[in-house]
Amino acid sequence: MENDLIYVYCISDSALGIARNLKSKDLKSLKFDDFYVMVKYVSESEFSEDNFKRNLSDIQWVETNAREHISVIGMIMEYTTVIPFKFGTIFNAKAGLQKFITDYTVSLTENFNHIRGKEEWAVKVYCDRKALCDQIDQLSEKAADLEKQIMASSPGKAFLLGRKKIDLIDNEMDRLCKDFGQKYFDEFKSLSESTSLSNLLPKEYTGREDTMILNAAFLVSKDKVLDFKWAFDTLRNKDENSGFIIEATGPWPPFSFISIKEKQ
Amino acid sequence: MHDNVIDRNKDITILEVLDRVLNKGVILTGDVVISVADVDLVYLGVKLMLSSVETMERLKSGQAIGVDGVKG
Repeated sequence: MENDLIYVYCISDSALGIARNLKSKDLKSLKFDDFYVMVKYVSESEFSEDNFKRNLSDIQWVETNAREHISVIGMIMEYTTVIPFKFGTIFNAKAGLQKFITDYTVSLTENFNHIRGKEEWAVKVYCDRKALCDQIDQLSEKAADLEKQIMASSPGKAFLLGRKKIDLIDNEMDRLCKDFGQKYFDEFKSLSESTSLSNLLPKEYTGREDTMILNAAFLVSKDKVLDFKWAFDTLRNKDENSGFIIEATGPWPPFSFISIKEKQ
Repeated sequence: MHDNVIDRNKDITILEVLDRVLNKGVILTGDVVISVADVDLVYLGVKLMLSSVETMERLKSGQAIGVDGVKG
């Protein structure tokens, strides 16, 4: 079957040479006005509306193709500024792509100005509540005070206060998660040009035992990336025994900082 | 921390990848494009994958899913 649908990876405002490692992927750089669009011609058997929807229910297919999507954009991003497209954006014909470029020229230019010279970094923070609970008397003044009262009380009173402490610990752990999440967010925000918060993902999606407490992306100037990494290393080492696990990944294509607005 | 995790794509969890590529970037709808609309369907696939025996085995042996992007 002929490959006549156009799968779009990203747009650049400078010429897109196709690096040697990308040549085998059948990529093409199409020029529209002042923009260069990296595309691949794909078949209807895989990407027609119905077939694409069917393939989305096959997680292995999704994984392979989503990784390819981000990998191609990532390689192009190494030598030019790119505006990434959402995974699986497919045009029926070049005319549609040309119309998009014409209609969105102003917005595309604004987006390029916003992201040029910057990188997207993702930060996810998880809380191991058991480890946090073990540290609670060191981290919570209220818990420490109550513990002192328990130690100084008669066995009967200590028992009642102990039950009170169980509830207090739960509340204090929630508060600490909020406070630490905010602390990490503020710290990384101070080194960033823009921020973007994403939904916290439940355990059945993360496959982890600990709880996600922050899921954020930061747009960082290239000249501040070292500071950003240093802040990450410092916070990670400082708080690792408190039950907070910080993970950072990047640089990503600036997916979280693209805002394309249709021409009015 | 590695300079470029994109090169180490396989070490990045599928969740981290989907977190970026499914709901962000240039998002177009309408007659001229085909695009992923039913994101929940994709996440359902992740959930099923994570609950599969094979994945549990990979988790136990410390491979693939759950490996953070800045290790090493």
